[in-house]
Amino acid sequence: MSLMKPDMQMDVSFYKVEEIRHLTDETFSLKLPRARFAFKAGQHISLGIVGGNQSREYSIYSGENDENLELLIKEVDNGYFTPRLRKLKAGSMVEVHGPFGKFGMEPELAANGKFVFIASGTGIAPFRSIVHTYPGIDYRIIHGVRYSKEAYDREEYANDRYTLCTSRDKGGDYNGRLTGYLKTCKFDPETHFDLCGNSNMIFDALEILKDKGFERDQIHCEVYF
Amino acid sequence: MNIADSERVSSVLEGMGYERTDNEEDATLLGILACSVRQKPIDKVYNKIAQWNRWKNKRNLITFVSGCLLPADKEKFLKTFDLIFPMSELGQFPDMIREYGVVTPAALKTRQPIMPKNEHIAAMWHIKPKYQSTYEAFVPIQNGCDKFCTFCAVPYTRGREVSRPSSEILDEIRHLVNQGYKSITLLGQNVNSYGLDKNGEEITFSQLLREIGEYGKSSEHEFWVYFTSPHPQDMNREVIEVIAVYDCLAKQIHLPMQSGDERVLIKMNRRHSMDKYRRIVADIRELIPQATLFTDIIVGFTGEGEPEFMNTVSAYEEFKFNMAYIAMYSPRPGAASFRWEDEVTSDDKKERLRRLSDVLKICSHEYNETLLGKTLRVLINGTDRKTGFSTGLTEGKIIVRIDRHDESLMGKIVDVKITSAANLSLSGEVV
Repeated sequence: MSLMKPDMQMDVSFYKVEEIRHLTDETFSLKLPRARFAFKAGQHISLGIVGGNQSREYSIYSGENDENLELLIKEVDNGYFTPRLRKLKAGSMVEVHGPFGKFGMEPELAANGKFVFIASGTGIAPFRSIVHTYPGIDYRIIHGVRYSKEAYDREEYANDRYTLCTSRDKGGDYNGRLTGYLKTCKFDPETHFDLCGNSNMIFDALEILKDKGFERDQIHCEVYF
Repeated sequence: MNIADSERVSSVLEGMGYERTDNEEDATLLGILACSVRQKPIDKVYNKIAQWNRWKNKRNLITFVSGCLLPADKEKFLKTFDLIFPMSELGQFPDMIREYGVVTPAALKTRQPIMPKNEHIAAMWHIKPKYQSTYEAFVPIQNGCDKFCTFCAVPYTRGREVSRPSSEILDEIRHLVNQGYKSITLLGQNVNSYGLDKNGEEITFSQLLREIGEYGKSSEHEFWVYFTSPHPQDMNREVIEVIAVYDCLAKQIHLPMQSGDERVLIKMNRRHSMDKYRRIVADIRELIPQATLFTDIIVGFTGEGEPEFMNTVSAYEEFKFNMAYIAMYSPRPGAASFRWEDEVTSDDKKERLRRLSDVLKICSHEYNETLLGKTLRVLINGTDRKTGFSTGLTEGKIIVRIDRHDESLMGKIVDVKITSAANLSLSGEVV
C-alpha cells in the first residue's frame, strides 16, 4: 500500500537564483541554472517570485548553449514587481514558465542571411541570445538608449556591428533616437530586420523601414510591455 | 536491514538519474528508512521531518519515508512526509516521484522542452459531459494560452497551451454524430494552435480537421463542425484548404481581429500585422467564397485615438464581416495593460461601439440581401421571442426566422427559401 498526499506537488518550474549581475543602477541580470531549460534564441519566459502571485514576461538574454539561463531586467520606477526582483539574492527561488513565442532565428537563415537587430533599452535581450547562439551570424545591432551606460554588455559585440544611439547624453555613436539614426542608414535589399522594445519605437521603425522599401515580411517584431 | 534497504533505494534512485549528496541542504529529495524497534530512532525521524518541512518553505524538496513503521507513526507521517511506502513497493517509487510532477535528472539531460504536466485538464477532459442540447455540442480540443496579448489575463488564469489527444476528440465527435448531433463546435482559447505544444507528437489543427472531414464524408449524417477561438498568428492557408474540401466543415470562419490599426495591434501584442490578417482573409475569399466571416473587436484600447479607430472602421469595411463581437476595452486585473492608463473615456468607447455596430449592420445587410430568393440549409434551434416563430442558423450562422412555429423541426436541418433580409438576420419559408 502506498500512501501519498494528493495535494502535494513539486513544481519543476522552480529555479534557484545563482547570481545577480548589476549592469547599471536600474538594470540587472538574473542568472539561473540552465540545466532543465531548452529554448530557441529569441523566445521569452514568464518569471514569478516563489510565494508571490504575479509574473512578468522577459526575453531570454543568454544563448541556447550558455551555461546559465540569464534574463535582463530593468527596475520600473514605482513598479510592483521589478523592485522585488531587484532585492532577490543568490539562492532566492523564482518560478519560470515557458519558453514562449516565435520571435527568433531560423537556423538555416542564420547561416546565410543578413540581419539588422533594432532594439530599445532592454529590448537588446533576444538579440544577445541570438548572437551567442549563432556566433557566425552576419548581424548589425542598432541599440537605442537614453544614456551610454545602458549599452549592456557592449563589449561582447564587435565594434563595427554595434551602434549605440543615445537620446540624453553624447556618449553614444549617434546622439539622438535610434529612429533618427535609422533614417540615415542604407541597407541591403535582402536584409532581415528584427525589432524589439517599446511599441512606439517599433511602430516608428516599421514605418521608416517600409518607407525605405522593405516588405513587412522582412520585418519581425517583439513588443515589450 | 535498514542498510540493506537503503542500498536498494539508492539503486532505484540512481537508476532514475539522481546523484547522492552528503549535504542535506543541497538535496531535492530526502528520505528516511525508519526503524521502529525503539522510540529514539523514531523520535529522530520526527525531528528530522520537522526540519525538512521548514526548509520546504524556502526550497524545492520532496520527502519520503519507508522501512519499518508502526501504524500509529504511519498515520502521523502521512501528514508530514510527501511519500510513504513499504519497501515491498520500492519498484513503484519512480512512478510515485513522477506523479509529483518531477522529471528526474535523467530526463533533464535531454534537449526536450519541459512543460509542467497539466493533470487537471486531462482529468477534466475525461469527465463525460452532460450535454445540454440534443443537437448542438461543444467539444474542447485545447486549453490555455501562450500568446500574452496585453489586454488579456487568460495566460495567467488558464495556464499554458495544452492540446487534448486527437483520439479522444475524434471519439467524442463520432459519438455525437451517431447520436444525431448537427452542430459541433471545437473549442480552445487558441483552438488553431492545436497540437503545437506536443512537439510533433500530435497532429496539427489542419490534420485534425481533415480527420473530422474524412469521417464526415464516410458517415451518413449531415452535420456542421465549427471552431472557436482561433488566433491569426497560427492561422494558415492549409486550414482553409481543408475546410474547402469537406462538406461537414462549416463554411463559417471566426477570426478575431481586435483592431484594424497596426500601432494598436503592436500595443496589444497580437503578434500579427494587418498584412497577415489580410492574407488570411484573401485565402478565405479565394478558397471558400461562400463562407461567412465573424470577428472580435475591442474599441477604446489604450493608445486608440480617433485615427486608429478609423483604421478599424476601414478594416471592417474592407473585410465585410458578417458579425462582430465588439467589446469596449475594460482593463483586466492580471493583464499587462491593467498597469497602463485607460485613457479613452467611457463616452468615447460607447460612441465607437455604436459607430462600429452601425458599420456591422450595413455590411451584414449587404451580404444578407445577396441571399434573397436562395434556398439554404438551416438548423432550426430556437423560437423568436416576438413572433413565436421558429428560428435557426444557416451553415454560416446567419439567423433565419421561418414562417411558423414548428416544434417538430427543432434540431433538424431543413431547406428554407429566403424571402427577406434584415440587418442581422433573414426570414424565409420552409420548403
